[in-house]
Amino acid sequence: MRHPGHWIGAVVLFICAAVFLEILVTNQNLQWPVVASYLFSPDILEGLGRTILLTLLSMVIGLAVGVVLAIMRLSANRLFRVVSWGWIWFFRGVPPLVQMIFWYNFALLMPEVSIGIPFGGPKLAAWDTNTLISPFSAAILGLAFTESAYAAEMLRAGIQAVSGGQTEAAATLGMTQLQTLRRIVLPQALRIVIPPIGNDTISMLKFTSLVSVLALPDLLYSAQMIYARTYQTIPLLVVATLWYLVLTTVLTVLEHAVERSFSVGETSRRAHTPWWQRLFRRPFARQREQAA
Amino acid sequence: MAGPLLKVERLHKAFGTHEVLRGIDLEIDEGEVMCIVGPSGSGKSTLLRCLNYLEKPKSGAVFLKDEPIGVRWQGDRLYEMTFDQLARQRRRMGMVFQGFHLFPHKTVLENVIEAPIIVNRTPRRKAVEEAMALLEKVGMKDRAHYHPAQLSGGQQQRTAIARSLAMRPELMLFDEPTSALDPELVGEVLATMHQLADEGMTMVVVTHEMGFAREVADELVFMDEGVIVEQGKPADVLLNPQHERTQTFLARMREEA
Ligand SMILES: Nc1ncnc2c1ncn2[C@@H]1O[C@H](COP(=O)(O)OP(=O)(O)OP(=O)(O)O)[C@@H](O)[C@H]1O
Ligand SMILES: [Mg+2]
Repeated sequence: MRHPGHWIGAVVLFICAAVFLEILVTNQNLQWPVVASYLFSPDILEGLGRTILLTLLSMVIGLAVGVVLAIMRLSANRLFRVVSWGWIWFFRGVPPLVQMIFWYNFALLMPEVSIGIPFGGPKLAAWDTNTLISPFSAAILGLAFTESAYAAEMLRAGIQAVSGGQTEAAATLGMTQLQTLRRIVLPQALRIVIPPIGNDTISMLKFTSLVSVLALPDLLYSAQMIYARTYQTIPLLVVATLWYLVLTTVLTVLEHAVERSFSVGETSRRAHTPWWQRLFRRPFARQREQAA
Repeated sequence: MAGPLLKVERLHKAFGTHEVLRGIDLEIDEGEVMCIVGPSGSGKSTLLRCLNYLEKPKSGAVFLKDEPIGVRWQGDRLYEMTFDQLARQRRRMGMVFQGFHLFPHKTVLENVIEAPIIVNRTPRRKAVEEAMALLEKVGMKDRAHYHPAQLSGGQQQRTAIARSLAMRPELMLFDEPTSALDPELVGEVLATMHQLADEGMTMVVVTHEMGFAREVADELVFMDEGVIVEQGKPADVLLNPQHERTQTFLARMREEA
């Protein structure tokens, strides 16, 4: 045998896997019948829906703010650059959990939110902060702003990856700066950032479980509420785990589909990777491939 | 029309303290083909880029049909144009680059119809019709639905030429359009340019292709160190150069060829 190490390793792994399977099947504490009975219960499904909504809303808002931040960051205007830099610095530095709790308690800092002339000028409209900030909006703010900082940095790299030659070519065709950005630069930048955005979406899905601190009944907190009542802790955590795995798998497949539809015509340059292999892809591996 | 199509007056350009253009005067008539040759670093690209204000001249001016490029008078004061005002002028001059600079996320056809649709608001169907005619002219009709990455350099450059022509420019600027190509692909691009010249397009071509210059150019300009050293009919400049620098340059070109 040329690789005895491989064989020993394989045997050890096989034994571990067998033990793990045995636990899954025979350990009574897992209570599979209980898992099955809660898997599609209305409370769990409602929590699942809220988790999906939180993920999507935070990503959409985060990306939209991120595009603006990235453009500001690359702008010729120094004030724009500084503001964008500061925003990214702040929201990348503060953990989303801290942000959520902070936003939720925003009323303690600012009892009233108003639109009007600042520094004591007249107000056009004012709202009580406590009516604006619900657990849900506090969660969205915390998650979306964190994402905006990451998205801005990715998009900036994406925009910079589009060659200056193309921008000049567009200029000689008489395109304005906005037209060039919208038609030439952003479509390519977005394509470059699809893989990292896909990864971010999956991370976001997992980050949403933080909202349980705001007592917002997402997937995890719904499960927690049930086992607080019934003491069936493990089976309900298994229910949540299964759903998280389903969601991340679906997101991975979706990401693959989006990426493929965006890369029509470039397929000749790219090796085709099946989605099941991409489940385990290292983040940013694709970008390194492209750079090479 | 009286007067030249394009006029360059006492053009100076510097990068920092490095004077790249040191007083260029040129006139290009409608339908004329002008080739610019000169050693590397002599400022040929910079001159071409000043013509459509991709580079801002330090002093001097460029006029397209008596209209100054990149600046405008308001009352008795001269203002630099905004990017969008410049865009209106740039439409009138096509430019073809050494590196093609096609839009890689668009097909050949989409590259060509992009500016007519977005800038001129040409209806899509009309834009496609015109683009296909142009692609036929440059021999790219059968590749209309390919992406740039699937094309040879020569094909990409011919597409880039069609893309510029789609804006119906009054003149075309070429910056070493064949320098990035494999030798066997140079001919097809030069043939396309030759055809364009025969159709009466006004062209300013920076090139190292002396054969093309001799055959196609009406006027040959030799530049060195930011000035025009010698200028005239290609046959005169090539066969009977008056200046020593021109002679040295041409001798070296012949050695390389
Ligand atoms: N953006 C820039 N910043 C600083 N220096 C520059 C810049 N562009 C060009 N130069 C310098 O200006 C000089 C002229 O450059 P230019 O590209 O116009 O030469 P060229 O005649 O086109 O040469 P080549 O035949 O190699 O293309 C060179 O010395 C170059 O280093
Ligand atoms: Mg050059």
